[in-house]
Amino acid sequence: MSAPTPSRPDAARRTSTMKRASILPKHPSLFVDHTVLIAQHAGFTGTQPITVGPNVVLHPHAKVSSSLAPIVLGEGVVLWERARVGVSMAEAMNDSRRSSVASRASSVRDSTRGEGIVLGRNVTIEAAAVVEAAEVGEGSVIEVGAYLGKGCVIGKYCTIVAHCVIPPNTQIPDYMVVQSATDYRLNRTLLMRPEVLDMRMNFHTMQIQTFKRLVPNSIAKWIS
Amino acid sequence: MAQAFPYTYYACNCFDSNTSGKRAAAVLQEAADEDEGTFDPRSPRANYQLYPLEHLLYCEDCQQIRCPRCQIEETLNWYCPSCLFEVPSSVVKSDGNRCNRSCFSCPLCTSPMQTFSLDPTGESGPPFILECQYCRWSTVEIGIEFEKGQGISAQLARIGNGGKPLPSHKERDKERERRKELEARKRDGRELFSPSTETTHTDKDEGPPSHDDLFASLSAFYKSQVESQTSASPFSSHDINFSSPSAYSRIMNLYSTSGPKKKQRPKPTAMREAASALEGLTLHDPSADTAAIERLKRDGWASTISPAQKRAQPNPSVRFTSDLRPLATLLCTKRSKRCRSCRQILTKPEAKITSTRYKIKLLALNHIPRLSIRALASDTPVPGSSRPPAKVFDYNALKPGIPTHFLFHMSNPLFDPIKVTLATPSTTPGKVQSRVTILCPQFDVGANTDIWDDALNMPAKRGSLLSDQAPQIEAGKIWDRGRNWTSVAVEIVPGFLDESARVEAETPGRGGPLEEDDDVLEIPVFVRIEYEADTGADERGLVDSKGGKGEKEKREEAFWTVVGVGRIKGS
Repeated sequence: MSAPTPSRPDAARRTSTMKRASILPKHPSLFVDHTVLIAQHAGFTGTQPITVGPNVVLHPHAKVSSSLAPIVLGEGVVLWERARVGVSMAEAMNDSRRSSVASRASSVRDSTRGEGIVLGRNVTIEAAAVVEAAEVGEGSVIEVGAYLGKGCVIGKYCTIVAHCVIPPNTQIPDYMVVQSATDYRLNRTLLMRPEVLDMRMNFHTMQIQTFKRLVPNSIAKWIS
Repeated sequence: MAQAFPYTYYACNCFDSNTSGKRAAAVLQEAADEDEGTFDPRSPRANYQLYPLEHLLYCEDCQQIRCPRCQIEETLNWYCPSCLFEVPSSVVKSDGNRCNRSCFSCPLCTSPMQTFSLDPTGESGPPFILECQYCRWSTVEIGIEFEKGQGISAQLARIGNGGKPLPSHKERDKERERRKELEARKRDGRELFSPSTETTHTDKDEGPPSHDDLFASLSAFYKSQVESQTSASPFSSHDINFSSPSAYSRIMNLYSTSGPKKKQRPKPTAMREAASALEGLTLHDPSADTAAIERLKRDGWASTISPAQKRAQPNPSVRFTSDLRPLATLLCTKRSKRCRSCRQILTKPEAKITSTRYKIKLLALNHIPRLSIRALASDTPVPGSSRPPAKVFDYNALKPGIPTHFLFHMSNPLFDPIKVTLATPSTTPGKVQSRVTILCPQFDVGANTDIWDDALNMPAKRGSLLSDQAPQIEAGKIWDRGRNWTSVAVEIVPGFLDESARVEAETPGRGGPLEEDDDVLEIPVFVRIEYEADTGADERGLVDSKGGKGEKEKREEAFWTVVGVGRIKGS
């Protein structure tokens, strides 16, 4: 390609002459806020609408797929590497876990909630977690490798422990530390000390700012 | 034992020394039989004698194998596994075997807890809490916060659950003395003597005494009892039997009734048990149980603790999660092992906590030759031929009645060449009789010299091939030889599994229905090695080194091994 010229060309010419057109199929209905950080190899697929709120961070290889249901990512949601959000993401899991929940998942065609996934504000989905849940409350942390089945409703400020498998249509109340669908414990520290909660949220916001400084942003590929 | 075939176990001779006095005659008879007879791998005692070579140590003074039962362990030092801080043994004796700095485990999930600052300004200031990263339990849930980030153990001892301060040892003693005086004064002033109402009166004011209070009261009470017994004793405290004051008074009278004035020595009071709450007595109070039931009804099952959590708590009578306390980490030790008979050190780790090396390490691997067995495939591929062997030998399906050839492989860890003699009974002991023939029972094995010495001295020989290319299975000839190993062929005819009924008729006590694992083919092999060793090296400076090698001494060692070959396939 040509060396950068001293006078900067305008935006229209810049995209058409200096960059190749992307061969990725463009998502038909994707609404991405301009403050979102999307790293390399992260992306959105599917046909249904995806809405991404401000300050969302997608780390490399995080995937959001809306092939079967629309998805809403609230403000400040962080998806770590290889996190998967979207119904029909179960193919990404290994077979051993899938077989245990597959029979139940396939038999549930009509769940009580409307189809779709809503992640609340400041939710953290850690590495390799798979989220097919209908709703995840604000501030919750889905730890590494966890799997949330379709139609799950998780409350606010919950912690889903690493590698936990939650079957579809489970309801978890607020402020719980969840080891399995039936084994969860109230996190009284957060209830008794709201300053712990504030500190956690401050940390979360500062972390997002650090990511924005360090991780190269490929949002241009996704923003129309 | 669930081992992959083939395996070799070595027998330690320690069973000889553990004979009980009563049946000494019978046991000696058995031992004599065993010495003369062969080692039976199926005898119940064999289970305790057989070890893989990697599990055995070797005592150079006794020149014998030492199994884990013939060793004594001594602790070298104590350390905390989470902060890796060494704790001197005097502190361990006084304060106990738990870390007394800041290492605590979560009472719910037993994972290590970390110190967090709840300071809202973001600096690491007070208040501090302990929080578990995995289950997110923290000391906030039991109402405890700390002022300093270090020395959590000391701070925790002063704070009870819910933030109430706990009295320290001195404060408790003072409080107890004060109460005793109060009671004594009241008792003197009253006409009727009713201690029960006294104690309940004080109890109602402050609640039932806590576990720590009770323990402190009891230990103070027993200490005072012990002191009152030995207050005038010229004997050392170890000689006196505390619970029989009559013996004590008798001995005292024996030695001191001399002289005209017979001092009326007060009869020493017998030691008694605790009699009041101040001395540590707890009377069961049914209201405590009803209170617990009410609380259970109110808070539900989720507020109770599981049996495993309860056992780990210092106070074993807690029931609810709000009574949990963080668990101090147990200390680990570094230990050295000694030979039980001659007290020579066999293994000694380095004193530095973080290093895993050993200063002294006398392993059987370095002194005892290793005997192993493998199957000799019937069509050994001649090097250079393209035909691969037909199938992999299956050690779990030995064919009964068919002579199969195996190879015994003996490798020598010593620096001197050894002469090996192998002996095995012609039929294996046990219900299934297999015939074993070692084709060459006596052979030499080379010394474990350096590889380079060998290469420099013998350039003509290449690897492990002998002069004749195709090794023969011939009686009296070894199969193959290398720098420090030799292999000989063995012919084994596995026995028939269904012959045991027939055998019973001939030799009673030997046959019978087959039990589990009777189809495992195990061969007891008696190994005897002879070699010449330099005595100068082992005397460690006691013998003057007369320039040169010193004397060579002929040494002999013998031991039983059990070689597990495989399972016989049932027909």
